[in-house]
Amino acid sequence: MEKYALKVIFKKSGEMIYFSQLDLIHILERALRRSGLPLYFTQGFSPRVKISFYSGLKLGLEGDIQAQLYFRSQISFLEFKTCLSKELPAGLSLIGEMK
Amino acid sequence: MINLLDFQKPQRYIGNEGNVSRKSPQGKIRICLSFPDLYEVGMSNLGLRVIYGFLNEHEDVACERVFMPGEDMANFLKKSGEPLFSLETKSPMQSFEVLGYHLGYELNAINFLHMLNLGKVSLCKEKRGNLIVLAGGIMNPEPLAEFVDVFYLGEFEAGAGFFLEILRRHKAKNERLKALSQVPGFYVPEFYSFDRSRGALNIVKSFSQAQYPLKRSHVRNLDSAYYPSRWLTPLTSIVHDRAQVEIARGCPNSCNFCQAQAVYSPYRERSMRRVKELVTEIYKNSGYENISLLSLSASDYSSIENLIDEIYDFCKINRIGLSLPSLRIDDITGRLCKQLSLLKKTSLTVALEAARSPLRCLLNKNIAIDKLFNAALTARKLGMRHIKIYFMFGFEQEKEADLRAIGGLIDKLRSVSKLNVYASINAFIPKPFSAWEKFSMQKKEILEDKKRLILESVPHRKDFKISFAPIEKSLIEAAISRSGRSFSKVIYNAYVKGTRLNGYSERFSWDIWQESLDYAGLKLEDILNYKGPEFPWSFIKKNL
Repeated sequence: MEKYALKVIFKKSGEMIYFSQLDLIHILERALRRSGLPLYFTQGFSPRVKISFYSGLKLGLEGDIQAQLYFRSQISFLEFKTCLSKELPAGLSLIGEMK
Repeated sequence: MINLLDFQKPQRYIGNEGNVSRKSPQGKIRICLSFPDLYEVGMSNLGLRVIYGFLNEHEDVACERVFMPGEDMANFLKKSGEPLFSLETKSPMQSFEVLGYHLGYELNAINFLHMLNLGKVSLCKEKRGNLIVLAGGIMNPEPLAEFVDVFYLGEFEAGAGFFLEILRRHKAKNERLKALSQVPGFYVPEFYSFDRSRGALNIVKSFSQAQYPLKRSHVRNLDSAYYPSRWLTPLTSIVHDRAQVEIARGCPNSCNFCQAQAVYSPYRERSMRRVKELVTEIYKNSGYENISLLSLSASDYSSIENLIDEIYDFCKINRIGLSLPSLRIDDITGRLCKQLSLLKKTSLTVALEAARSPLRCLLNKNIAIDKLFNAALTARKLGMRHIKIYFMFGFEQEKEADLRAIGGLIDKLRSVSKLNVYASINAFIPKPFSAWEKFSMQKKEILEDKKRLILESVPHRKDFKISFAPIEKSLIEAAISRSGRSFSKVIYNAYVKGTRLNGYSERFSWDIWQESLDYAGLKLEDILNYKGPEFPWSFIKKNL
């Protein structure tokens, strides 16, 4: 199956600083699953939403997180933002696309 | 101000889960569901979610949650004098009208008292002002009757509507308790006293309209009963990290030792149509990657194959891991085998209870051993990695051979199936309302000898693990579940002496409990040997 990557920057602030990088993976996976976007899943017996992080943030710190997400079709950043933003918890926001 | 970063797992105290209630409490009936165990455990409890969702469906009600804080937080609150607070609005526990406790596990009684204290709620009922402490999930309420204003006996969905109606109509605590005591399922202990001076149990009521006899109440139809489709989705890992859809309640089997079968009767099923609807809705609202179909025995669901067929496609398209935690071994080799290969299942769990068939017959637990081996082989073929097996010991009818057979059985199971075997072995506790409630629990020394016999039979190997619940812990669990009101003194003393989080074996303190029994003038053997005819819980009618 074809996969299309989208590189984006999230901002972690407010209440979200108490959540770890491991928590963040689940938070994003579930938000993406709710968003209705055409997700690309990993193969194998326990398929997961494919997300790669460029960096992590220590618990307690505010800051940006760069991530690469994968879809089954080409998604524009605007489309992505419209679908995902409403699914993100307070303190986790989408600030832009990474070129 | 509390700096949450100073504490372990600050995620426990935030209250920003998906689908959390964001209501402003102003002008609303304020209820706080209180769970006497850590966040990760409490958030895995289905009952809590059902009640939370149901209460918040009502516009005039604001329901929040509080869990037993971690030890570091508890110590901090104690030292700083800040009261334990709810997750949603960070309100001190005393600012609620009702604290609703889930007291399903006996040893959490200590946490219950500790939480009240941390929330600056008096342990003494008369000193709580208008605040009502409601408790449910407990089968024999008597040992905690001194601390609880009103118990709910049975499934709270059946009485929650009446409960809210009474809170709306009456504002004073005394009025509320009087009104509640007339509604099926609610038990206000202060209105009843028990006189055993002339042998038989004699009930004296201080409020004549309070109902008697008391009955447990239950939901008649699971399809029309409330179910939380706006699934509260934690943002951190919890113990059972999956969304749950309850497919049936109760159990059509009748194992003699089983309390759950007796108290969650009758056996009821949720329709396939409704289960499918819930799976779809819950996934859309939560995005949970794992969904589990819950019941005491999924194999007894009348059309389990069709149910899986119905849901399977939805799960496959959305890459949802579907699990069925309570299958019977017959089904694994039989009708469900093909479907199981499609499901996410990494382990097989078998509650065998006894290693030899005559004892299993006595327990009314009829599992043929060759079927177990076939199931284990199938499990292996299906790619499962381990098998969990449960045993019980400490029955009067049990023979040495029964105990010695456990090790050999585990060993054979391992070598035949090549799976890792995890065995969990527990002492039999005659639980209230079970068919064997009249049995006594065996003495500590006998149980310890039996445990030794079992351990001797087990070869030492790395590919299986055996865990025993500490015998002392089981004895105290049994004493709490079988005692009357006099036991509250023991619980209170154990709490004051500082025993905490007793559900965790490493925290359990046998010395404190023994000292507390002495302090209350009670003997463990008397409590565990008591054979009736009337028990402290006999005033509550059994479900039929």
